[in-house]
Amino acid sequence: MKRERVAAIVSRAKGLAAEIRWLLGLSLSAILLFPEGSAPADISQGAQIAATCASCHEPTGGGQAIPPIAALDEQAIVKAMLAFRASESPSLVMHAVALSLSDDELAATARYLADRANAGRQP
Amino acid sequence: MTDWTRRQIGGLIGGALLAVAAPHIVRGQGRAKIVVIGGGIGGATVARYLGDMKSIDVTLVEPNSNHVTCFFSNLYLAGLRSLASLTFGLETLAEGYGITIIRDSAVAIDPVGRAVELRGGTKLSYDRLVVAPGVAFKFGEIEGYDEAAAKIMPHAWIAGPQSELLRRQLESMEDGGVFVIAAPPNPFRCPPAPYERASLVACYFKQFKPRSKILILDAKDKFSGQELFQDAWSRHYPGMIEWLPSQFTGAIKAVDVAARSVVTEGETFRAAVANIIPAQKAGLIGEKAGLIDASGWCPVDPVTFESTLQPGIHVVGDSIIGGDMPKSAFSANSQAKACAFAIAASLTGSPQFPPHLFNSCYTFLAPDDAFTNALTFAPEGGRIKTVKMFISKVGESAEVRRRTAHHAVGWYSAFTADVFGGGS
Ligand SMILES: Cc1cc2nc3c(=O)[nH]c(=O)nc-3n(C[C@H](O)[C@H](O)[C@H](O)COP(=O)(O)OP(=O)(O)OC[C@H]3O[C@@H](n4cnc5c(N)ncnc54)[C@H](O)[C@@H]3O)c2cc1C
Repeated sequence: MKRERVAAIVSRAKGLAAEIRWLLGLSLSAILLFPEGSAPADISQGAQIAATCASCHEPTGGGQAIPPIAALDEQAIVKAMLAFRASESPSLVMHAVALSLSDDELAATARYLADRANAGRQP
Repeated sequence: MTDWTRRQIGGLIGGALLAVAAPHIVRGQGRAKIVVIGGGIGGATVARYLGDMKSIDVTLVEPNSNHVTCFFSNLYLAGLRSLASLTFGLETLAEGYGITIIRDSAVAIDPVGRAVELRGGTKLSYDRLVVAPGVAFKFGEIEGYDEAAAKIMPHAWIAGPQSELLRRQLESMEDGGVFVIAAPPNPFRCPPAPYERASLVACYFKQFKPRSKILILDAKDKFSGQELFQDAWSRHYPGMIEWLPSQFTGAIKAVDVAARSVVTEGETFRAAVANIIPAQKAGLIGEKAGLIDASGWCPVDPVTFESTLQPGIHVVGDSIIGGDMPKSAFSANSQAKACAFAIAASLTGSPQFPPHLFNSCYTFLAPDDAFTNALTFAPEGGRIKTVKMFISKVGESAEVRRRTAHHAVGWYSAFTADVFGGGS
């Protein structure tokens, strides 16, 4: 996997994530529906796809058979996913997942997971 | 089990508080109010993901104090897992996600007044309702097989007391007996599971009752993962499992519980133990709420999982017409997440992303021999369609299969933490 390509994907994700935050920020109905300072839900694209990961990956690590993903950085996630996309081995499950994500979706998910890890929260 | 008291108290508190409030309508104020019917895999997942969004008020209605997972229950039947290890309370959802749990059953839904009535008399109003009642059985399609007969010839297709009954019967069965499994017609909960059950009970017989036989009387002429199962049966349990498709027998027509026999079109089979898995339909509350079409299942929008028959009511899990998605815990969990995010998006007016629907099932052929599949789905023309499908292959090395069995155990632990909360 070429470094430049990873970098390009990650930079696209940043753009996308910013766009989503902007859209969420504009949403007036969110403010009306979630009064009293309660935080609106994180329903960004990254959050939604990352929810899929949690069907198999333990939230706080500890998974031995299926490796934890909570502490991985953005580039490591993108790199691993591109390798899974390329081959059915070593995991046909991850091959299917990786093929189902566009580059933008993959980048948004990696960014979301890495942000959560940085914030010290569970994915 | 140390958490018993917490479980009981949690259930009693929820039940008691709301029972006192009955029968007037309990109305949410300010926050969007979501009611979820059914605390199984689909319902618990929806509640957990909406509860995670702190700003939504979630109430989960479930009659049972805890959930015994159907997945891995075939390992229990073979003596390879305890039932306690497959049992989950809902208290983490209450404590960690602020979800109100009510230990009761929904008996009626008023889609116009947006209210749910519970057996105990409570009425709950909702902004959105999610219904996830799993499957119900078409008792009566097999003559003589009703709820009373299921206490003698268990289906064990909802895990719990039924699984315990079947396990006791297998344990007390004499060596040399015939264990009959009646496999249901499509569509039904977990397509490979009757054959996984045959494999794992064969594993138990091989060790403890080696002269016994397993006879599968199928309502179908082919089944999910057939090649992989038949390959494994000849490798692990030669001569022990016989599968009779519907074209040979005309399928099961009747049972005689007193005589312990199972009757097909042309033959009567004596069973030392009989496991009758009846044809299935959507959970009963769906019928009362007008959520079910002529097929017996609930049609839904494949993006939001909103009923196409009753606006404002979403349905997830085994009860829906899932298109290409099998009726599995993984599918229920995947649909539930898509549904939770769709509800949140519509409440906030946020952008709606196309859902990533997924299914991956681990199936045991022997304790250290498992296979897996992985399918991705996307909504297309109002239906859920398969996009990609991968499945383990016949002839894989023992090492690959051992690793898959190991992954299955890891999946179980992560998956149940995802559904019922926790995992920390
Ligand atoms: C032997 C076996 C093996 C399986 N193995 C696998 C596997 O390996 N992988 C996999 O992904 N799937 C597997 N499955 C399938 C899986 O268990 C189901 O698909 C899954 O449980 C469906 O989730 P659900 O939420 O639709 O229903 P359920 O999990 O059954 O939940 C329904 C809930 O609704 C409640 N309910 C019903 N009516 C009402 C009412 N009126 N009011 C309130 N609550 C109500 C019920 O009490 C129940 O708790 C297996 C199934 C079986 C039988």
